[in-house]
Amino acid sequence: MSSSSPLLDIQNLQTHFGTIDGVVRAVEGVSFHINAGETLGVVGESGCGKSVTAMSILRLIQQPPGRIAGKILFKGTNLLELSEPEMQSIRGKDISMIFQEPMTSLNPVLTVGRQIGETVMLHEGLSAKDAEQRAIEMLTLVGIPAPARRVREYPHQLSGGMRQRVMIAMALACSPQLLVADEPTTALDVTIQAQILELMRDLKTRVGAAIMLITHDLGVVAEMCQRVVVMYAGRKVEEGSVEEIFLNPLHPYTQGLMGSMPKLGSSLHESGRSKLTEIQGVVPSLRKPIIGCAFASRCPKVTDACRQMAPAIEEKAPNHLVACHYAPRAAAAA
Amino acid sequence: MFAYTVRRVIATIPVMGVVALFVFSLLYLAPGDPAAIIAGDQATPEDVERIRASLGLDRPFLVRFLEWLFRVLQGDLGVSIFTNLPVAHMIKQRLEPTFSLMALTLAIALTFAIPMGVLAAWKQGTWIDRLVMVFAVLGFSVPVFVVGYLLAYTFALQLDWFPVQGYTPIANGLGGWLSNLMLPAVALGGVFIALIARITRATMLEVLSQDYVRTAKAKGVGQRAILFVHALKNAAVPIITIIGLGFAGLIGGAVVTESVFAIPGVGRLVVDAILRRDYPVIQGVVLMFSFVYVIVNLIVDLLYTVFDPRIRY
Repeated sequence: MSSSSPLLDIQNLQTHFGTIDGVVRAVEGVSFHINAGETLGVVGESGCGKSVTAMSILRLIQQPPGRIAGKILFKGTNLLELSEPEMQSIRGKDISMIFQEPMTSLNPVLTVGRQIGETVMLHEGLSAKDAEQRAIEMLTLVGIPAPARRVREYPHQLSGGMRQRVMIAMALACSPQLLVADEPTTALDVTIQAQILELMRDLKTRVGAAIMLITHDLGVVAEMCQRVVVMYAGRKVEEGSVEEIFLNPLHPYTQGLMGSMPKLGSSLHESGRSKLTEIQGVVPSLRKPIIGCAFASRCPKVTDACRQMAPAIEEKAPNHLVACHYAPRAAAAA
Repeated sequence: MFAYTVRRVIATIPVMGVVALFVFSLLYLAPGDPAAIIAGDQATPEDVERIRASLGLDRPFLVRFLEWLFRVLQGDLGVSIFTNLPVAHMIKQRLEPTFSLMALTLAIALTFAIPMGVLAAWKQGTWIDRLVMVFAVLGFSVPVFVVGYLLAYTFALQLDWFPVQGYTPIANGLGGWLSNLMLPAVALGGVFIALIARITRATMLEVLSQDYVRTAKAKGVGQRAILFVHALKNAAVPIITIIGLGFAGLIGGAVVTESVFAIPGVGRLVVDAILRRDYPVIQGVVLMFSFVYVIVNLIVDLLYTVFDPRIRY
């Protein structure tokens, strides 16, 4: 594997679900890559296919009713072609995942030590005793006080923030190369959110893992990520560096997202305050194939061309991809 | 935990007291006059009266109850009206076959029912699931004595793999004990397997959709460990509950099964006693079974805390 090839390269991912009333196209032709050691943000509103994309990478989608097509290349190997046992040896070892709900994502009847230790017992063949030792080390690493005692406790004896720390400890126990974090802070208090993000950033540099950070919180993206993928209705609509996306959003949807976020320093009292804008309308149904641009029904700049032809994703500025007929091409792109 | 156990054991005392009162009054209210039966057809009213007085049947209810209870607490269950043997002794002689049958039935039921239920939940909607469910419905709806006779006819009379009936004490060798009990235990286990498999399936279906099952999968845990460690332990409480409740059915079923396979157990003893209105024997057996049932449910309650750490009393 050459050093220039990405750690994870997703090509034309399609994840569909067969339901009683038709096929739901949750992810429809998404491509992006993650380089070793980088943090990629995946943003978009609820139901845009962020989580399904993440679950597709680890093949956690029940198949059937789910169906995953396309290519997911991890260090050059297509994960979609691996057997289930081969996939099992990758889950939790090379790629691990943190989920949104720390309250329900830990098994209530197994001790946290057991749950952290299980990963290293599976992937590194450690004995139960060594695994507990590793679990204590991991709990120390994620900043849980009295780890030797906590390791014998059950999830219900821990707070939400602590549980998410346990989840992180579990995910990092085998030093994975890629950590998929699906809204890791959404269910937590704001103060705890900051702590968890700080912890993830700190551990990322220590472990050297790449992170795919799924969130709908643009503030989190600005703080954590180098690059951003914006998803809408199962499609990638924009991709670029954090600076490009925040300072120069080109897709009307991304512009709408930015407009709906309060800016620090803008006053809420003065008459000349900047108004928060909302994106009118709702996400289109994913049950029917979408003709034209997926955002057409909500787009302020919509034209007939948008409704008839889906825009191709194009590089409109250096390292800045957009799928919009009307996104201006950067003047100095050449 | 220890304090809880002690408290629970103490709490069984009033329960047993109510059971004792119920057992005693049930027979007091039952139709049929034991004095008249013992006296026989040719007896004069005076004879009947004399026998009634000698049995103490003419004294007030409460006095008789308290006297009886006091003796029971000392381990004296009275004397059989017909054999004149102490009831406690008669029950003790019959305990081994009955408990052997119940233990083997339970072992067979758990060995088959839990994997069946887990498998059905995992393969929900497939032919495996349907097969398990069909078996569960059959197990429920075909009575023990029908299954018993079918098994005896096929495997004992036709194939000659097992003895048709009877019982070999465990002291005479495990082989004989097992071969005598195998058919009755399978016959009796059918209902139990159906019951436990259904509950296991239903509970597992719920558990398998939980977030922590997905977490386990994301860690690289294999399917078998997901099912039998991560999920089954979460499904344990309802399953144990149904095993405890089903124990009552097991006791009732043992009575029928013992008759079908001519096993000299407590079930046969109580059937004979009922037919002869042998009050002390009936009271002793019912009391003994109630006691066993209370103990089983106590164990079930204590097992909850073993399987689910969130349950603390």
